[in-house]
Amino acid sequence: MTSTEPSAAPADAPDAVAQVARVPLRSLERRAVLLLLFMALLVGAAVLYLMWVRGAFEETQTLYLSADDSEGVVVGMDMSFSGFPIGRVSRIELADQGTVRIHVDVPVKSARWLRTSSVFTLEKGLVGAARLRAFSGILDDPPLPPGAERIVLRGDVSAEIPKMVADARDVLLNLNRLTGEESALYATLGEVQRFTQRLNSSQGGLMAAVTGNEADARRVSELLGQTTQLVRRLDAVAQRVDSVVQRADRQVLGQDGLMTDAQVAVRQLGALLQELRQSMVKVDAVLTEVQGVAANAREASTDLGALRADVESSLRKVDALITELNRKWPFAPRQQEVRLP
Amino acid sequence: MRAMSAGFSLYGWLAGLGQGLLRWLLGWWTVLFTGAQVAVLAFSPSSYGPEARSAVLRHIWQAAGPGLPGFTTLMALFNVVLIRILVVTAFSYGLTQYALDAVVRVLVLELIPLIAALFVAVEYTIPGGSELYKLRRGGALEALRARGCEPLSHEVLPRVLAGMFAVLLLALLSCLISLLLAYVAVHGFTLAGLPSYNHAVGTIFNPVVSMIFSMKTLLFALAVALLPVANALRDIPHRGSRTSVELQGLVQMSVLMLVIEVASLIGNYY
Repeated sequence: MTSTEPSAAPADAPDAVAQVARVPLRSLERRAVLLLLFMALLVGAAVLYLMWVRGAFEETQTLYLSADDSEGVVVGMDMSFSGFPIGRVSRIELADQGTVRIHVDVPVKSARWLRTSSVFTLEKGLVGAARLRAFSGILDDPPLPPGAERIVLRGDVSAEIPKMVADARDVLLNLNRLTGEESALYATLGEVQRFTQRLNSSQGGLMAAVTGNEADARRVSELLGQTTQLVRRLDAVAQRVDSVVQRADRQVLGQDGLMTDAQVAVRQLGALLQELRQSMVKVDAVLTEVQGVAANAREASTDLGALRADVESSLRKVDALITELNRKWPFAPRQQEVRLP
Repeated sequence: MRAMSAGFSLYGWLAGLGQGLLRWLLGWWTVLFTGAQVAVLAFSPSSYGPEARSAVLRHIWQAAGPGLPGFTTLMALFNVVLIRILVVTAFSYGLTQYALDAVVRVLVLELIPLIAALFVAVEYTIPGGSELYKLRRGGALEALRARGCEPLSHEVLPRVLAGMFAVLLLALLSCLISLLLAYVAVHGFTLAGLPSYNHAVGTIFNPVVSMIFSMKTLLFALAVALLPVANALRDIPHRGSRTSVELQGLVQMSVLMLVIEVASLIGNYY
């Protein structure tokens, strides 16, 4: 055994080796096996921990975000909601339309913060990396379905700067043009200055300043005097019209006015109509009776035919009797005429 | 005559340069060849017979066991100091959200694997290399070979495996302790910050960074374990002493680790 292990020879080995060599071999092997097991345990724990924190054991759903520029987006970056990371970019690709398609893996337990009305933004500040954020304004909306596709809004501060500078330059140019000697504003200000000078010159006052000469100013002041008189007259007319209206109001809407009479008349008309309705009811009853009478008359006229036949036969018999009597003398009348009852 | 002597000196300089280059290439070739042999042996089940297994286990304990408590304690102290500096600086500049990121990236990803590799090199693999060199010079390896035992599998393989294992174990343990200390330094003794901490760690350790970190630590371990052993197995001209072997191994190791570190930085941050 020792012949095949020259390293264990104590003559030229270092002290540590010599010390180790004194420990029984079986014990050394056992400790080495323990170290190996410890190492395996550490490796297993580390791998499992990393897989766990990378979300390997978590159920996720995919969300597709489309943007027009992928600048600042990197695989592995977070998507945050209210400052908390709720998803991670897993892939970036170019879509068929030339837009950028960002795949975001959202753990199912975090997906409840995403709603159909959620808005997604990609913000890029002057300093620091870009940030992908989600905003859910209405949490009562239905949850975002797996595989949903949304447009991401960009908020790029650095991209805004050139535009802002160009706009600012335009504004400054416009300002220069406005305040230049040939500008309208300059001429207007000159006119205003001349106007105020005329105003302060105490020749004709404000009117002269407005009209430009004294004669016009005088005419304007006369016009103003006439206008005042006109207004005064109009005021009197208006007072008169007011009294007329008051009178008319009294006559129409007063205590003994037209409206009161009209109300009484309308009330009487209502009573009249009421009575008319009662009369009509009575007429209706009379008509019903008349109908009954007519029915009776129809029956009576049927009987009248039979009566007439009887009367006719009786008359014929009377006629025959009279004829018989006439033929017998002394009853033969000079005047052979029978009077019927 | 003068031109001839100048030409002769240029020839001699070029010849010397060529010889130096050849030696340099030969040295790296020896390292690579030894590494390949060791790799083949490491993946051959026949290398783990009862006797060889016992040797490997013994060397593993010898490499990692005695240094583990001391190194872990020292690294924990170093971590506390560095984390405190980083966190306080980040807080004072109002960059609190980047404090954890900086701590994890500086300590866990960059410093700890490097320090662990250097510790194992100084503590175990360089002395192991010199020991092997002495055995070879003393003819012990030849004697082994004469008895039918391959010295590569009996003396070299256990040392390389033990060196690699020690680097990986120390680095991993210190990284985990560092992550724990970083959490305590940033959030204090509470569990309230656990979700945000987990999320931050998950964001840092994306698949690319994790792969580069693992590869870097593995290459550090390989460099630290293999170079001293490979240097011990070859004769270095004009530098026959024990010290020169150790120094040359250390210089080579530093250069190689620098290259690995630069490559990992390029992979992580470019």
